[in-house]
Parts: sequence; structure tokens; C-alpha cells
Amino acid sequence: MIPNTNSSKKDNEQVMNIQQPAIVGKYRVQVIRDKCIGAASCVAIAPKVFGLDNEQKAFVISEDELDDMKLLAAQSCPTAAIIVTNIETGEQVWPV
Amino acid sequence: MAIQQFQAKVSEMTKIGTTYIQFHFELSEPKNIRFQPGQYLLLNVPGTAQKKSYSITSSKDLDHAIEIVVNTAPQGEGTKYLQSLKPGDGVSFFAPAGVFSVAPQSSQVGQQEKALVFVATGSGIAPVKSMIIQQLRFENDARPIVLHWGLRYEEDLFWLDKFQDLAQAYPNFQLHLVLSKATPAWKLCRGRVTDCLQVHPLVHSAGYYICGHTTMVEDVKNLLMQKGVAQEHIHHEKFF
Repeated sequence: MIPNTNSSKKDNEQVMNIQQPAIVGKYRVQVIRDKCIGAASCVAIAPKVFGLDNEQKAFVISEDELDDMKLLAAQSCPTAAIIVTNIETGEQVWPV
Repeated sequence: MAIQQFQAKVSEMTKIGTTYIQFHFELSEPKNIRFQPGQYLLLNVPGTAQKKSYSITSSKDLDHAIEIVVNTAPQGEGTKYLQSLKPGDGVSFFAPAGVFSVAPQSSQVGQQEKALVFVATGSGIAPVKSMIIQQLRFENDARPIVLHWGLRYEEDLFWLDKFQDLAQAYPNFQLHLVLSKATPAWKLCRGRVTDCLQVHPLVHSAGYYICGHTTMVEDVKNLLMQKGVAQEHIHHEKFF
């Protein structure tokens, strides 16, 4: 959604605040689209983090979830299509 | 119930059909579980952190144990591990997971579903059995409930007595078996479940619950949508 340029600065700030994804924890997730087969186990386990697009491929909605749940969702993927990275260390946590 | 890790012990392993094994895991810690029929568990397999998904086939009222059914034919990592187990061995898993369940009759979608049609192939019957028993025995669901179950060979069939007992006890329950490799003596539906769905008249205003291999799920979904079934009434669980 593009902020309405006719609205006041305060309104725009509110819109931006609503759009700003909440970030929880130190793990970040990324979906490798070509590997995704639409099993949707990630969506079932972490529905706040993952969704399925029109082509039945997973995408990241937000990072608003506990690290353990993000990791479990990634580890449940039958094709290991989700990469989990620890942003504090730069280490790839999954797949290893 | 939020997903959590369980420790359990194998208490029974029963061969059913030609290639399937039913496992009964007695819970050790926590000792009880609450789940919705249709949900699954994520099994920890030694040697890998990757979890293997298995649908829960036990009834909701069995809260101190979990039962799953495994097709041993594919011989993946999870199957090999499960086949190596013996009664008394420990297992661990995360549960309950998943959103495949019958739409509650209190919901708008549930209210619109005047009948329930389940379509399963192979071990896709595992969660469907739990869902059907829940509706008939525990929810006293009087809506027509139809099961189309596809397998390859007649000797692959299992739980036939359970479903026949249900059909006798609950006149609103109907079972349609379909075999893709039927012998000439087979008198019921033959071919794929999509063929079976074409033979029997479409149940109007039904909710469809499909479980099995991804190709079958997509084929059934496409068929139903061609016949005008709205997407919100097509619920599915894909097996990989």
C-alpha cells in the first residue's frame, strides 16, 4: 500500500507504523522460492511468519514470531526451502 | 493447544494392509495431549534436525497416547527410522501442528456446509478416520458424511471393518472405495478417486476434505472447482 500523499504527516506516520513489520528475536528467515513445493508446513506452524502466494509458494509475511517457532517451521519443510540466519552472528542456522 | 515437544514410548506397532504400519506412542512427558482431528505431529528423527510430518489417526478422546499410520513403501528417512523401532523404544515429536480440520458448525463456512465429503488416498485416510469418528461419535453430526477412499490393490485395504461398523451405526455415513489396480472381480469403483467422484452425483452444499498425495489433491481441487464448488469449501492436506 502506498501512503496517501494528500494526508497529513501524522496520518502518514500512523500508516507507516502499521506497515512496519514487527521483528522478534535474532533469527531471520528467507524462502528459496525455487525449492518450495507448497507443502505449507511452515504456514501451519508459523502462520504469522509464512503465507502462500497465488502459485502456492511460501513467502515471508513478517518476522513476528519466536525464534524456536521459526526454526521449527523451517525444519518441517520437506525440501529445506527455508534458510534461517542468526543476525547476531551471521551464521546460517538451518539448513546446516 | 500450542505446539510443544513430547517424549513418548512405542507401545504397539501393527502391520495393517500390505505396506502400512500403525504406531501407538504412549506419552511420557507431557502425559496428555489435546489436538483437533486432522492435525499432525513433527517427528524428531535421529541424525537430522529435519522433522518428518505424520498425521494423527487416533481419536481426540485418546489423550494419553498418539497413533500414526506410516506407508513403508517410500522408504524415506522417517520411515526407515520408524521401522527400526520396537516396543519400549523412546520417540520425541512436536505436536499438534496443522490447520486441516472440519470447519466448526459455529463458523460461517461450517454453517454453509450441509454435508461433509472426505476424499483420501493411501495413508491420507489416517487423519480422515480421526475426523470422521469425531464428527459421528463425539459431535453427533447428523449431516450426510461421505468418504471416497482410493487405494491401488484390494489387498491394500485396511480398517474396512471399522468403516463398515460406522456405516451400520450411523446411517448418515457412506463409504465409497475405489481401486486403481482392481481385479476383474472388483464390483465397486475403479480408477482414481476423481473417477469415483465423477460417477457419484455431486453432494450439494458440501464441505470437501481432501488428504493424500499432492497430485491427487490438486486433481480433486480442480475437478471440484470446475463443478462450481467454492474454494472456501475445499479443505486439504497434502502428503509429500
